[in-house]
Amino acid sequence: MIKIENLHKQFGKLEVLKGISTTIKEGEVVAIIGPSGSGKSTFLRCINLLEKPTNGRIFIGEQDITDKKTNIMKVRQNVGMVFQHFHLFPHKSVLENLTYAPMKVKGQSKQEAEKIGLELLAKVGLSSKANEYPGRLSGGQKQRVAIARALAMQPEVMLFDEPTSALDPEMVKEVLDVMKSLAHTGMTMAIVTHEMGFAREVADRVLFLDGGVLVEDAPPSEFFSNPTSDRAKDFLQKML
Amino acid sequence: MNLDFTSILPSLPYILRGIGVTLQIVALAGLLGFLLGIILSLFKISSIKVLGWLADAYTSIFRGTPLVLQLMIIYFGSPQIFGYQIEPYVAAVLAFGLNSAAYISEIIRAGILAVDKGQSEAAMALGVPYPKMMLNIILPQALKNILPALMNEFITLTKESAIVTTIGVMDIMRRAYQVGADKFRFFEPLLLAGLIYYLMVITLTILGKVVERRMRRGD
Repeated sequence: MIKIENLHKQFGKLEVLKGISTTIKEGEVVAIIGPSGSGKSTFLRCINLLEKPTNGRIFIGEQDITDKKTNIMKVRQNVGMVFQHFHLFPHKSVLENLTYAPMKVKGQSKQEAEKIGLELLAKVGLSSKANEYPGRLSGGQKQRVAIARALAMQPEVMLFDEPTSALDPEMVKEVLDVMKSLAHTGMTMAIVTHEMGFAREVADRVLFLDGGVLVEDAPPSEFFSNPTSDRAKDFLQKML
Repeated sequence: MNLDFTSILPSLPYILRGIGVTLQIVALAGLLGFLLGIILSLFKISSIKVLGWLADAYTSIFRGTPLVLQLMIIYFGSPQIFGYQIEPYVAAVLAFGLNSAAYISEIIRAGILAVDKGQSEAAMALGVPYPKMMLNIILPQALKNILPALMNEFITLTKESAIVTTIGVMDIMRRAYQVGADKFRFFEPLLLAGLIYYLMVITLTILGKVVERRMRRGD
């Protein structure tokens, strides 16, 4: 479903990704872990072209999204993204946050967008907040709205960039629970995370990045109990 | 001090009629300045370098020369620029609009840059095209932040509009001056003009506060 071939990314002279290749199958949940500065976020952001790859190719379905002729906006409509710091639109109500892109980008009618929006809010347990402004929500609630906002575009793939890193500890679970139930619906998900327990429980595969290189690519059962590289062993020792 | 307003009392309606003239010039020039200011600010943050240079050159020229000079160049130069003599009123709207666009573009540019980069990333990630992102997501947030600075600009515009007197527009200032010349008493009509300008500025200030409060309802 998502095929990444020899992905390179350079910021000036700094080489952040040094040739990463992997495939994410449809319905697969992939956890991307690694020390800070390992290039995990950059890797994720290349998949919806928030970062432009310096080299290499990325296919979503049959489409080469690194091809100059590809309409990036169309690609992004199909790839939802959830950010560490939520980035909800503060001047729009919760429901407006959900209906904005479907209406403006996909041309959905207001009724249709609101119907889908309210359904999604119910799924993330925030029906009562539809008319609130994001400023009045807690971090966990904001992130659940952000997930619903991405889902409102009915994407085939969801990217999560450290979705719980900015949350107070007691709010982490509510967000992870939403992600868990999303994983059970068969959504294709790529998640950059520091939540090892979550990765172990929910992910089908773990990608371990270090220094811009994909060091390990294994199912969580293998990765967490039997990491092959020293770098991963070292990392896990510090994390667990 | 001998103050005698009774002698200018009959001329009061005449001076007050200047309010409409001043307001019209300020409103139209403000609108022109605001719209042109938005376009210039978008040029300034554009990745197309030429647009940035153009907008910077524009700002540099209109900020770097006196407003009264710009007004006179546009008014007296109009036969050579446009091929015919434009109305003083039109010259005033043009001069003030073009001039305040230079200042407003800098205010808006600062406002746009102050909006969290995550906002444009979130919009991009949803597949929102650039024009819609700017119009619906970035500019509304930028405007909220720069409202006090914009209000300042409109207040300045209101007061500075008094220099249209120099090209013969019948605004509050010119009418007050004329009444003074007519009655050989300048002090009272000028005081009255001052009071009118002050009340207009106060009204603008209150208006700005109301708008600001409405825009902050989401916080």
